[in-house]
Amino acid sequence: MIARFRAVLNSQWKWSRLIVVLGTVAAFAIPLVSLQGAARADRGALQAQELLRAVQSWGTLYPLLATALGLLMAIAAWAPDHRGRHIHALTLPLERWRYVLLRFGAGGVLLAAPIAAVLIGSSLAVLTATLPPGLQGYPIALAVRFAFAVFVAYAVFFAVSAGTARTAGIILGVIAAVILVQVVAGMANIDLNLFGAAQTVLLQGPGPLAVFTGRWMLVDV
Amino acid sequence: MFHGIDPRSPIPLYVQIAERVRLAIATGALGSAAPLPSVRQLAAELRINPATVIQAYRDLEAQGFVEIRHGAGTFVRELAPGRRARERSQHAVALVRKMLAEARRSGVSLAELQRALDTELGAKTT
Amino acid sequence: MSDTIQIERLHYRAGKNFEIKELDLHVPSGSIYGFLGPNGSGKTTTIRLVLGLLRPLSGRITVLGLPMPEQHARVLGRVGYVPEQPHLDSTLTVRELIDFQAAFYPTWDRVRAEELVQRFELDGGSLFGRLSKGQKAKLMILLALAQRGDLLVLDEPTDGLDPVVRRDILSALLTYVSERGATIFISSHLVHELERVCDWVAVMDNGRLITEAPMEKLKQGTKRLVVFGAPAEIVNPPFRVLTRESANGGGGENWVVGNWEPAMTSYFEGVGASVRDVIDLDLEDGFVELLRSFRKGGTGR
Repeated sequence: MIARFRAVLNSQWKWSRLIVVLGTVAAFAIPLVSLQGAARADRGALQAQELLRAVQSWGTLYPLLATALGLLMAIAAWAPDHRGRHIHALTLPLERWRYVLLRFGAGGVLLAAPIAAVLIGSSLAVLTATLPPGLQGYPIALAVRFAFAVFVAYAVFFAVSAGTARTAGIILGVIAAVILVQVVAGMANIDLNLFGAAQTVLLQGPGPLAVFTGRWMLVDV
Repeated sequence: MFHGIDPRSPIPLYVQIAERVRLAIATGALGSAAPLPSVRQLAAELRINPATVIQAYRDLEAQGFVEIRHGAGTFVRELAPGRRARERSQHAVALVRKMLAEARRSGVSLAELQRALDTELGAKTT
Repeated sequence: MSDTIQIERLHYRAGKNFEIKELDLHVPSGSIYGFLGPNGSGKTTTIRLVLGLLRPLSGRITVLGLPMPEQHARVLGRVGYVPEQPHLDSTLTVRELIDFQAAFYPTWDRVRAEELVQRFELDGGSLFGRLSKGQKAKLMILLALAQRGDLLVLDEPTDGLDPVVRRDILSALLTYVSERGATIFISSHLVHELERVCDWVAVMDNGRLITEAPMEKLKQGTKRLVVFGAPAEIVNPPFRVLTRESANGGGGENWVVGNWEPAMTSYFEGVGASVRDVIDLDLEDGFVELLRSFRKGGTGR
């Protein structure tokens, strides 16, 4: 299975090289750019406000980047198969679901680069900046939230572009069910978080897609 | 030797191949102990089914013309001299039969055929 | 197991106009089986059904002893497939495509793959999309052969290729058969090419199988007869009447028959007729006559 995964990874890398590289560069740059100018500790409350505003407005790029990465990686994973009408993949000696999993995993591995870039970039930005008093940096929380957003976007678009209507339907159905459960839990005021890995992230609201909403604050009170 | 075997002919390919080999043996083109092309080689060269070649070789073996040695190939057998002459005359008979059938089909009479034969043979000797 | 592919009472429909009905097909193990038929007759669809790319409405398909499409993952490990249209990604190179394929088949023959790259004169660094039609076909054949499958399914593999490429491909295929004793299922409408290599032939038209027989039997059994004095109605002939029409002048008739045996001239004598001539037909003639007869309303087989 490892040889197969490597083969799938190689082909997927070739198709999505540009997206991964550009996405990684952007993911690295955004946190640094959002904190530029935050160098002096002797700022007053007003400067802190300005900083927070800057961080918040730059922060809107994270969900956009996450969505773009998810979308483009999902498309890159399936466009060649679509062109060949999936005949090649369907005549390989493995079950369709295994193949889909291999492709999903390959995309996931490649997405580690931009996610790592967010972590490194934001950590670097926070370390090299001198934050006004009362403000703290949350690089790890930001990176985790970004990772989650990327994967949700990737999963959703991947399911849609995987080609076989049945697979897409099942995956979307599962996501919808989870969202539904989350909504019901929210309405019944039951403290339920189905995505345990994202405990530290701001995750209020009805389910995984909420990760995209709200404010993405590298630095906050 | 196998030039021009005709897949479209009603004569099965394996029969055509065997005939060619027999003729080659009879006329001495294939000497005793000479190797026949390997099944793989002949099939690829002529672009025919290897099973066809195998069948031809097996028939030839059954008729006593060749010997199939597993792993080594197929080789022409030592033949009694009378055998070769018999093969040649059989081939001559087959040629004549073909000519007669063709003449019948195209409406050429036996007399006309005989005259043509004399002319041709006569032309050769003068 | 005597049959590599076994299709029983297959029924499939696509859209309003295309239907495969009551298809029964048996591909003996180790044979080179030719699948003939005009365009649109259902050859490619049948192949897709055999490979598990499509699911039949009813009927049974068994490949290498296992049911399809249920066991497709296991079966396809032993089946090399060359489709009609190039199905590989045009942005990958020859080398990358070979390496990809190699990872999926434990039986992959690296040595043979290299040999064929040399023999087919393929450049490992060329992008698939940039290859000529003939080179694409050669690469697809290479992948199927290097896989070392027990069954090769080829859908019009040499269609539209120049004679040199066709010969190269055919030779490589036959070398493979000689060495491995694999079963080959090859669909084509290049009748003469199939005539050289196939030991079994099946003819399909409009979703129905017209006939399935050993090649020699089909060829030997299909004849054109020049008949005089036959009655208008004939009852229970031992042969199959494909067409019957009067000859140009002379009062005789030209019959095309199937399942003919030489002794059957006595049948004609029995009804007061005489057979003046028995003319051999090659596979293409026989194929054309079979189609004509079938389309006029003859029954299958």
